Amino acid sequence: MLARIAQELFWLGRDLTRAEHTARMLDGAFHADVAGVPGERGIALSWAGVLAVIGAKPPAPGEDAADATAVVPPHFGRAQIAPLLTLDTDSPASIVSCVARARERARTLRDVISTEMWEALNSFYLSLERYDLAAALATGPYSVYQEVKERCALFWGLLGRTMLHDEGRSFLEAGGRIEEADMVLRMLRVAVPGESDAAEAAGALAAGSAAGTGSAAGGREAEALALLQAVGGFQAYRRAARQSLELRGVVRFLLYEGMYPGSVASSLLALQRALETADAAPRSSPPVLRLGRLIADLELQRRTPETGRTLGEMLGRVQDELELVDHDIDERYFALAALAAVHV
Amino acid sequence: MNFAIRYLTRYDYDADVVDNLNALRVKPAANSRQRVDEFSVRLQPEVRLHRHADYFGTEVVEFEVSRPHRQLVVDVRARVSTAPAPDPPESSWDALSEEAYLEAGGEFLLATDDAPGHPVLLELLERTRAAPTPLATVMLVSELIPDRFDYRRGATYVDSPLAHVLDGGAGVCQDFVHLGLCVLRHHGIAARYVSGYLFATAVDGGPESVEVDTHAWLEALLPGDRSGEPVWVGADPTNRGLAGERHVKIGHGRHYADVPPIKGVYRGLASATLEASVTMTRLDGLDPAAIARA
Amino acid sequence: MTATDPGVDERGAASIEGYAVPAGCCDELIEDDGAPRPHAAPLLAALRRFGPRGLLEAGLRRDAIFMQQGITFEIAGTDGARRDRPFPLDLIPRILTATEWTAIKRGLAQRIRALNAFVDDVYHAHEIVRAGIVPWSLIVSRPSFARPVHGVRAPGGVYTHVAGCDLVRGGDGRWRVLEDNVRTPSGISYVLENRLAMTRLVPELFAGHRVRAVDHYPTLLLEALRAVAPATDSRPTVVLWTPGPANSAYFEHAFLAREMGIELVEASDLVVRDGVCYMRTTAGLQRVHAIYRRLDDDFIDPLEFRPDSLLGVPGLIRAYRAGTVAIANAVGTGVADDKAVYHYVPEMVRFYLGEEPILENVPTYLLSDEKQRRRVLSRLGELVVKPTSESGGKGVFIGPQASAAEREQQARLIEARPERFIAQELVHLSTVPTETGEGRLAPRHVDLRPFAVFGDEIRIVPGGLTRVALREGSMIVNSSQGGGSKDTWVLDDEGAAGDLAPGTLPVRRPPRLPDVRYGGWHGQAQQQQQSALPAACGLAGSG
Repeated sequence: MLARIAQELFWLGRDLTRAEHTARMLDGAFHADVAGVPGERGIALSWAGVLAVIGAKPPAPGEDAADATAVVPPHFGRAQIAPLLTLDTDSPASIVSCVARARERARTLRDVISTEMWEALNSFYLSLERYDLAAALATGPYSVYQEVKERCALFWGLLGRTMLHDEGRSFLEAGGRIEEADMVLRMLRVAVPGESDAAEAAGALAAGSAAGTGSAAGGREAEALALLQAVGGFQAYRRAARQSLELRGVVRFLLYEGMYPGSVASSLLALQRALETADAAPRSSPPVLRLGRLIADLELQRRTPETGRTLGEMLGRVQDELELVDHDIDERYFALAALAAVHV
Repeated sequence: MNFAIRYLTRYDYDADVVDNLNALRVKPAANSRQRVDEFSVRLQPEVRLHRHADYFGTEVVEFEVSRPHRQLVVDVRARVSTAPAPDPPESSWDALSEEAYLEAGGEFLLATDDAPGHPVLLELLERTRAAPTPLATVMLVSELIPDRFDYRRGATYVDSPLAHVLDGGAGVCQDFVHLGLCVLRHHGIAARYVSGYLFATAVDGGPESVEVDTHAWLEALLPGDRSGEPVWVGADPTNRGLAGERHVKIGHGRHYADVPPIKGVYRGLASATLEASVTMTRLDGLDPAAIARA
Repeated sequence: MTATDPGVDERGAASIEGYAVPAGCCDELIEDDGAPRPHAAPLLAALRRFGPRGLLEAGLRRDAIFMQQGITFEIAGTDGARRDRPFPLDLIPRILTATEWTAIKRGLAQRIRALNAFVDDVYHAHEIVRAGIVPWSLIVSRPSFARPVHGVRAPGGVYTHVAGCDLVRGGDGRWRVLEDNVRTPSGISYVLENRLAMTRLVPELFAGHRVRAVDHYPTLLLEALRAVAPATDSRPTVVLWTPGPANSAYFEHAFLAREMGIELVEASDLVVRDGVCYMRTTAGLQRVHAIYRRLDDDFIDPLEFRPDSLLGVPGLIRAYRAGTVAIANAVGTGVADDKAVYHYVPEMVRFYLGEEPILENVPTYLLSDEKQRRRVLSRLGELVVKPTSESGGKGVFIGPQASAAEREQQARLIEARPERFIAQELVHLSTVPTETGEGRLAPRHVDLRPFAVFGDEIRIVPGGLTRVALREGSMIVNSSQGGGSKDTWVLDDEGAAGDLAPGTLPVRRPPRLPDVRYGGWHGQAQQQQQSALPAACGLAGSG
């Protein structure tokens, strides 16, 4: 298969999955914001947190993109962030930008993907174009995000029904799964306090209880709930984990749970399978081998109770590895072709 | 009097059944005029028995046969000795409204709602209204009912409502008791349903061993004479009179459903045929060998 | 948070045109002079911005979403055919302040502790009877007095695991308990679904208020059920037992089972072997430690209750007696929420807890008492008469709305069976602005059913189900009789809100994340043209 086609398929999968996860996260943030939180006000799924996950630049003129993830102006709330990440065509991170890119790619891939997939994606794009998204976002963000989720699901569903099990499909799926793993990891890293934050977090919780409004446990439970709602895994967690909501359990679930399709472990496994199908020599493929080590490492971590290493560190390590996998994929499948492209 | 009782029940199912759970209320009660010398329950298939006393103090034997089976045999044996009932107290109507009486009467004072306003019931109430004392009312009720109604097996079912009996003019001992309870409670006399065994032969003589059925009679609460404690007095509206030495009590309740001798539920698409027999043998005067056989 | 300062500029501006609070009633959002109450000012300002049109449109979206999600109830149309209607959620919330809620919460917890103690006492020592406070004859005459569990102590000593007391607010603004409900109170699913729908449909209304969350109820319930489950294992199996899809509350049963992640079982899924309860699974029998049952005592165990019914799980009471399974609510709790027993609840609080009741009863008269009966009969036209053993508003007689003939008939019923009725003073239920069509607001009467969960301790979800009588002047709020519901907001402590406004929260610094990548063939080709050399590392263009 042409490297260009493969890479476009890969990124089509990534863009769509990013749009879906951004929608889920924003919906979760909306809910957490409006519905309030039992006993604790400082929740992890804050608007600033969402912005940090996506790594988008707040629309302050002249600001450097690198700063965006660090500090968000305190006045930044849902009135600024939700439109920025949903419908700002200037922001590459917004949902409409993701969908527009995905649709542009699909247009060049119309002979590779099935007609039904193309039509589903095209009408998705057109429906976002057509109606007054800003007004819809103001009156009912839920219905906007619901539509994004449903349209994405329709695309992947049609893939399952109509696309040949070929190399192209594998790259499309690989893109979707690597993006899903990446987004979930980002969200977890923002939600889980790291070493340096432990003291600060404790301070915030103490402030909460000093105000007489509830327990630290209540706050952590709320964080866990918000996280699950943001990835759409609440019901799955309840059925699979059969334990009460607490942050650590939820993080472990989203990281390790093989039965849950949205967990990092599941995504990595699916990514590995997709690459194995696509690769002519998977046994000597650096990304496949690296993934294999990462998956085995995760499984080991799952089975050994955490000693020494904190969850925060663990998440960081997994994401570093995933970044390397990403580079391996580029090099093995797309890079040579890219050089060729220059010389042509 | 001394009795040996054997209560044998056999269910035959025409297909396999499972999870057959049963509760037996068959053990003669132990009280001031009744002593239980022996009691045993044997089952086929053999399973473990659980016992407990229910709210009314009746001993309940529970068991379950969970594996598939086509037959269930419950073999109950007991030896009991009974003493004659003491003379019932004669007390006035006034005593019925005293606090101690109401307290002791409890739920057995609550009107039954089975057939409100039924003309036959109204007639019974009218005819029992004028008795001079509560005891006289009890006596009257236990004579009036067998006068007015025929004892006829098959006239009613276990759960027939009172209206069927009133309409049909016939029933069995259980129906007569329910009628009696209804009338007595209406007159403010606490009355309860008694389940038990009756050694039903002619008073003088007759065979030593008889095939009977489980029986039902009632107990009415009569205020004690000269401010004594109220006492429960047995009366048998099937046999026109007070209960005596031949009545072996199992337990009591508000109505039949509180003391059914056997109650069970099973799973399966089978229908069951039931064979039951109660044999009572009077042991007084029998030689030891005969007692051993009984 | 918006910068709305309640009490200053919004007060006059936000009043509702033509809004008249019914005489003798207290409106919870609007003062008598038509100005919004201070705590409701931001809401009324938001409503004003919204306008009737905005409200109407949100209503249409609501109906569409409810129909799609199946949050409906069946109603017979004019042609007699039954069809699904979206559950009538009124979009104007009811607001309780933190102070009000604290008092209600304490009062409810106290009352539920007393009711729980009463249930234990009724089936064991009978101390309250011996103390001469509640007559034994009353207890044994209650149809819900469960003789099969006399002497059986529930695991953990908890009987009333889930309680939903109905509260009303009279013309004097005081909260009173109208009814206790400790059998299988329903409605919590609507509390949760209402809140979810409100945050999705009208998020603007929440601006300017910090509303306490309700969505942790399933967690509370699951924890309570696990706390009472007699299991040595730390992960006891809890199930929710529903009578089946034909039950009117089936939606709620499925909702709670899903939210708690437990199995939704019917009687045929459960079996008792050797005094232990199991469920039938594809992997064989699995031990069940706690059952949250949503059906009456009568249908629990055919060996013990209702001989005419084959419903239920044979032997379950035996397992319960043996202490191998917890049943929530415990068997026999109905004796505590009987309407004739209700009269004694304030006495129970004093007797069992040695405290003065925080929440009062509505003045109630026992008609079995001759003196009280005569007084009631003489002023039947002013009172409410209820049958003692009914629920859901069945057979309720409302004096002021009854004709002379109806009054006479009710008097005859009382004379014939006085012990079957109680009479209560009529409470002029408080009102809350409610959308009455075309986006207009008018006062409608409401009550409140908060939900308490009792496991290790009593925990109460902020607010509860507000039911609203949608017909003008009507005080019957039951959904079966044309009632709707409202989202109930309990505001967070007003004082503390300033201290911890989101902007001043200690911001958790997110860890250094890798930049989000944007890629693809074309982006890559462009970068290659700009700088010819490093091929692979040029890929990670940041946004």
